[in-house]
Amino acid sequence: MLLTAKGLTFASHADPGPHYVLERVSLAIEAGEIVDVRGPSGSGKTTLLRALARLLPDVEGTLTLAGRSAEGYAPAEWRSRVTLLPQTAAMRPGTVRDNLLLPWGLKVRSAGHAPPDGALEQALLEVGLGEIALGRDASRLSVGQAARVALLRAVLTVPDVLLLDEPDANLDDESTAQVAAMTELFASRGGAVMRVRHQRGDVRASRTLRLVGGHLTEVAS
Amino acid sequence: MNELAGGVIEIGWAQLAISTGFVVVVGILSMRLALGLERDLALATVRTFLQLIALGLVLRWVFGIDSPWLVLAILLLMMGAAAQTIVKRAPDAPRGILGSSMITMLLTGFTVTFAVTGLVIQVEPWYRAQYVIPIAGMVLGNSMNGIALALERTFADLDARAGEVLALTALGATPWEAAGDSVRVAIRAGLIPTINAMAAAGIVFIPGMMTGQVLAGADPLAASYYQVVVMLMVAAATALGSVLAVMLSYRKRFTADGVYIEKGYRQPR
Repeated sequence: MLLTAKGLTFASHADPGPHYVLERVSLAIEAGEIVDVRGPSGSGKTTLLRALARLLPDVEGTLTLAGRSAEGYAPAEWRSRVTLLPQTAAMRPGTVRDNLLLPWGLKVRSAGHAPPDGALEQALLEVGLGEIALGRDASRLSVGQAARVALLRAVLTVPDVLLLDEPDANLDDESTAQVAAMTELFASRGGAVMRVRHQRGDVRASRTLRLVGGHLTEVAS
Repeated sequence: MNELAGGVIEIGWAQLAISTGFVVVVGILSMRLALGLERDLALATVRTFLQLIALGLVLRWVFGIDSPWLVLAILLLMMGAAAQTIVKRAPDAPRGILGSSMITMLLTGFTVTFAVTGLVIQVEPWYRAQYVIPIAGMVLGNSMNGIALALERTFADLDARAGEVLALTALGATPWEAAGDSVRVAIRAGLIPTINAMAAAGIVFIPGMMTGQVLAGADPLAASYYQVVVMLMVAAATALGSVLAVMLSYRKRFTADGVYIEKGYRQPR
């Protein structure tokens, strides 16, 4: 198993009294899998992804990656290998190139080599963004373009697990298809993907899980 | 007119009454225009009277006693009050910044005040209240504004950029890497009023201390030298103080694991 979670429990205190968003949730994902998570709005799907990315304070339970417990990884290292893509694509001030290369400016990848311009252009072309120049100001991207650039930014770092929070929310059909193709390509190269989705899947997910009332159940396919 | 030896025209009760008369006029105006400011104005006027006269009495007493311990105790009191004010003015800041504000005020306040009195003016003895207390007051009062502004801006900007901070953290950024932009923006914001004041000094306005010295009969050129020293030191105190305060406190909105605690999230144990 690539990524496992055991007994994830998280209580929200947004309203008076604790409310269990996750109650002893356990799951396991293998390399190459695409796992969809469904569930009603507000059922804690985003919370689950954040817990897996170690981006949630005060969560109980244990995580392992490639057989090693989470304590064996520094938090930043864990997040560089189990990478969450938040629902809203956040572009930093600067060009598309600046944004795509941003991960290599971080200490956690100081030993790595940033991809050259040619590789970035090729990657943009593959996801249907060939018309966007690397020098374009990132604030001049449409919502759909920014979503794909943000996904590409995460994919280019080649994490072990990619956690996608509604990657195709607010996207048109063409962008949705391109996001799905990127996701499939990532999985076919050995990455694991966990997606939170509202829409019906147009890409065949390996499995579908359902999160309701803090409990995660497998949906028979 | 009662002229003092130093050339100061003394202000008596009659003069105080005249100035109060002007405030009464503003009060009437406020009532007529339904500004609703009468109460605040009256209260503020009474406070001005009481606080400044009390300050005058206290300083007179302190100057008479001539004790280094008393001077140090007063400085500590002033720094505590400044740290409190900073916390009050930065409502977006997380709990627990009183400590860092206090450390900041202590470090910058003492360093800059005694750099001015000891190295620049070379006061003898080093604790001479007539110099140390007013200069500390100017350094603390001005840097406090800049520091409060920088702190408030840090957390307001982090909250506005929460999505970006999350995206950066998710890519493996450390708190410093995720918060760096906000920290820079905030420190700049804290410094701009001081830089503007330096640029406008002497052209748009006559700074307070120079005004005071000139009114007290000092040579305007000598007074201008003093003002230059104080302005530069205030700028230094604001800059050092803002950097220190922001550096000491931005991390408080992140967990030990480096996760940004979004607004409304319960502070973890």
